[in-house]
Amino acid sequence: MTETNKDPNLIEDALRNALCRDDAPEGFAVRVLARAEQENSSAHKAQRASWLSIFSQPLVRWVAFATVSICLVIGGVHYRKLQRQRAEGEAAKAQLMLALRIAGSKLQLAKSKVNEINQSSPEPQPQNKSPRSRS
Amino acid sequence: MSTINRKLLPMVLLLAFPTILCAQDLKLPPGVEKLAAKAKETVEVNMDGPMLQWASKFLSSEDPEEKKAAKLVANLKGIYVRSFEFSEEGAYSAPDVEAFRAQFRSPEWSRVVGVRSEHDGDNVDVFFKLENEKMAGIVIIAAEPKELTFVNIVGPLEVDQLADLGGEFGIPKLKTKPPSSKPVAKADKGEQK
Repeated sequence: MTETNKDPNLIEDALRNALCRDDAPEGFAVRVLARAEQENSSAHKAQRASWLSIFSQPLVRWVAFATVSICLVIGGVHYRKLQRQRAEGEAAKAQLMLALRIAGSKLQLAKSKVNEINQSSPEPQPQNKSPRSRS
Repeated sequence: MSTINRKLLPMVLLLAFPTILCAQDLKLPPGVEKLAAKAKETVEVNMDGPMLQWASKFLSSEDPEEKKAAKLVANLKGIYVRSFEFSEEGAYSAPDVEAFRAQFRSPEWSRVVGVRSEHDGDNVDVFFKLENEKMAGIVIIAAEPKELTFVNIVGPLEVDQLADLGGEFGIPKLKTKPPSSKPVAKADKGEQK
């Protein structure tokens, strides 16, 4: 048996000493908060890593790369096709406007000639001095 | 029955041929196409119905000129233009033009304007194609000393649209000479040749 077992007062003293209120060591709270933050961020990282982990496989990486490349190529081709169609449409429009302008000007020419004749028709035309003949 | 069909087929084709020919574009005389080599400037526009409709999609509704053009071409089936500008006079011959005019000496075509001007050498013919008393096409042949132009517009055209065609599109209206300037042109209205 130990001395404490022999003397109940000694046991009591020992317990009192062991359970007495003691202040936390300096910087304890800071260390606890730092640890908690660290654990929180590592949990986030782990979550992110689990989502991105599918790209860790080479096949998936290649498939993703190929998909993005194909999408870019298709988009580029479609854009160029639209651009070409627009350019062709603008050229066709220019042709159409040119054709209408030419038709309009020639009709105007015919109209002006007819107007000339209409305005001059009341005047009697002597046969020997025909204005149609060049002299 | 098949024997009758075999006998009838050539006749049907023979009867249908002029109709098919009329439906096609009017052909320019072979000599006219060669004029492009002599011409200082050549304009060639061939636009059939689908092409016209496609081109009209690009016409702006905000531009008044293009808006009128869109309205004008809405029901057209084709526009064909050949225009040759020469640096010198006499680059084309009268038979070249006459060969083209000859195509319109048919009942379906009416020569509404025919101008022969010895004064300034401007000869203009305007032919209308009428179907059920409605205009189904117009052909303009303008033979000027240094310029030769063929215009063939296929499709229904309203008279007011035609008037618009004459005075719009940035072409200034030509001023008519005063009566004292002695007219030298002859106009045939409604003449059929």
